[in-house]
Amino acid sequence: MNFSFTLQQEHFRAEIRNFLKKELDQGSFTTGLNSFVEAYSQEFSQKMGAKGWIGITWPKAYGGQARSYVDRTILMEELLRVQAPIAHHFFGDRQVGPALIHFGSEKQKRTFLPKIIKAEVAFCLCLSEPDAGSDLAAVSTAAVDKGDYYLVNGQKVWTSGAHMAQYGWVLARTHQDPAVPRHKALSEFILDMKSPGVTIRPIINMAGVHSFNEIFLDNVRIPKENLVGQINNGFYQIMAQVDYERAGIERLMQNYPVYEYILKYIKTAKRAQKCIMSQDPLVRNKIAEIAIEFNIGRLLCYKVAWCLEQGKIPNYEAAICKTFCTQFEQKLSDVATTLLGLAGQLRSTCDRAPFDGLACESYLWSPSFTIQGGSTEILKNIIALRGLKLKTK
Amino acid sequence: MDFSFNKEESMFRKMAAEFFKKECPPSFVSEMLEDEKGYSPAMWRKMAELGFTGLIFDEKYGGLEGTFLELSIIMEEMGRALLPAPFFSTVILSGLILQDFAKDSLKDKYLSPLAFGEAISTLALTGAAGFYSTEESGLLAEKKGDGYEISGSALFVPYAHVSDIMLCNTSVMDSGVDQGETLFVLDIKTAEAQIIPMNSISGDRLCEVVIKGCEVSPDNIIGGIGQGGVYIERVWPKIVTAKCIEMVGAIQQVLDMTVSYVNDRRQFGKPLAAFQAIQHLCADMAIQLETSKVIAYQAAWMINEGLPGQKEAAMAKAWCSQAFKDVVKMAHQAQGAIGFTEEHDLHLFTKRAKAWELTFGDIDYHRETVATCMQL
Repeated sequence: MNFSFTLQQEHFRAEIRNFLKKELDQGSFTTGLNSFVEAYSQEFSQKMGAKGWIGITWPKAYGGQARSYVDRTILMEELLRVQAPIAHHFFGDRQVGPALIHFGSEKQKRTFLPKIIKAEVAFCLCLSEPDAGSDLAAVSTAAVDKGDYYLVNGQKVWTSGAHMAQYGWVLARTHQDPAVPRHKALSEFILDMKSPGVTIRPIINMAGVHSFNEIFLDNVRIPKENLVGQINNGFYQIMAQVDYERAGIERLMQNYPVYEYILKYIKTAKRAQKCIMSQDPLVRNKIAEIAIEFNIGRLLCYKVAWCLEQGKIPNYEAAICKTFCTQFEQKLSDVATTLLGLAGQLRSTCDRAPFDGLACESYLWSPSFTIQGGSTEILKNIIALRGLKLKTK
Repeated sequence: MDFSFNKEESMFRKMAAEFFKKECPPSFVSEMLEDEKGYSPAMWRKMAELGFTGLIFDEKYGGLEGTFLELSIIMEEMGRALLPAPFFSTVILSGLILQDFAKDSLKDKYLSPLAFGEAISTLALTGAAGFYSTEESGLLAEKKGDGYEISGSALFVPYAHVSDIMLCNTSVMDSGVDQGETLFVLDIKTAEAQIIPMNSISGDRLCEVVIKGCEVSPDNIIGGIGQGGVYIERVWPKIVTAKCIEMVGAIQQVLDMTVSYVNDRRQFGKPLAAFQAIQHLCADMAIQLETSKVIAYQAAWMINEGLPGQKEAAMAKAWCSQAFKDVVKMAHQAQGAIGFTEEHDLHLFTKRAKAWELTFGDIDYHRETVATCMQL
């Protein structure tokens, strides 16, 4: 049992921090929120790629560093601490690359893995549809075999970053016979977003931000060579990928700067003109509550990384981790905006908004935390049925 | 980072789990509630033979020089079994203090018997005010000649009625001058103490100990005069963490009991476990268990490494205290009316959850410690 990091890992963390401090000082980015889905900088991603920080866990044969998942978590923790602009390579690094390594053809690996590492291309994930959210097997976008290409018709929704991506990772129905079970009728494809027939329409989220999109696929041709893995094996392939989507420390730190801000804020702000807030027992109690939960969330994230390193498939641990961490993120945004008092409702466009209105913005994003990437309800089903093995009959 | 246990630790767990499964079923726990002693001396001897009582102490004093993690593992299994025994009071509350702060002659005299399982011990820490503060122990020691005369009332003293010795944090007065909090070892059997049971839900056999003019030698002072508060503060993370580890074991057992129940109990033509509301209730319990495990073992590991672990222990106690209460609440909801009966075992856990929330600092107490450690 060991709750500390090795000397090597501490050095790695320091190396990342120094790099990020320099980048911040140079003004190559500013600390915001939601950076892994919002802050695109191909330049920054290229710097990371040059350092070997994209695909850090991938085998060396594919341009990776063959480092541990714990190392990757250290990297992600530091990047998210200051909200470095990693959106350009994020989906490629987190799940597209690993999926290609597991299931992709040699040609696909040789084509796309280096492009991801060098931040030459950005990916978006084209999975959900209007009638298929948590029920992913219900996707109806059809990919019909036309000899040397698939003809794809359908619609995707909630596609984060579709407007910024060169490629989309598409889940579509390839077996049209309704008698075939849904989860044995799906396949994964790589879509060139510039293909004729692809229309992207922005959806504005509750925070007023264009982050995700609708995608209309109208007689789109996907070359045969862009089928990933086995035909009709897509559902099983994607189930392996969702654990990566659930497992990361980005589920804990999407609004982390709000936490650091509020710790600073209470040291000078006064409540009801009596004492400095940090000396108010109620405030201290609330901050301690948050601090404890952050500490636990962080341990859970590293535990999942450690499980992956042991070669275990952490369905149960990842589900617990994401449920707990996203709940924390919501609590953080709520507590922070409350501590800010009336000013907690001011938007970034208001000059008097503390912290450029970021605490308020994080509150507007917060309903999505427990929905995106596996809703809490689905995760609790997994904990109960796969983890605790509760009997349903 | 490594969240696993090594071979020795796993072996300890297996041994402890098997021992308590055999020796301490829930029926035994219920039985001990009515028992005069509140524990089984025969079981205590077996525990001594297995090395549990002496595990953490120096070989010089009859111990096995085991690690705090190994002790934690055994305590987790004790928590799972809700072991009714003066183990916490003897090993954690007394033994650790003697080991860390008493001079060799005192350790020879008092620690060895504890390690060998030949004596029972406890610690008097709170007075009538009933909260943890080094200024409120309830006992006063007046300098008399070379020695001291101890009087007063200590409350919430676990297993005092079966203890051979009692460590007590007393206020020392010398000719009207306050010398500060000082830790004494008291031979409670000869102290002519009035021991009044405090009937509580905890099962920890709390006692009020009333002492009227008991003479104590200055040799029985642990460490230095006026240092009692310092020592308590230093051992506090160990005490607090050990309690959290016990809670983790108990929480695991409550979850297991609940899973077993909802799998078996059938209503509306299916097991309760088939209903999503119940599935999510169990999932919530699993989350409370896993979070408690990581935060408690983080503290145990810190202590194992010889680090103070003050913040980690406080975080663990604040969290686990709430988690244990939440888990029993959800367990009651899942187990319906039968879980509300005395013949069923759940109440044993529910009562401990409330009692242990309050013991060694409640949630707010420990959150304040965290805030202080964060230098807010």
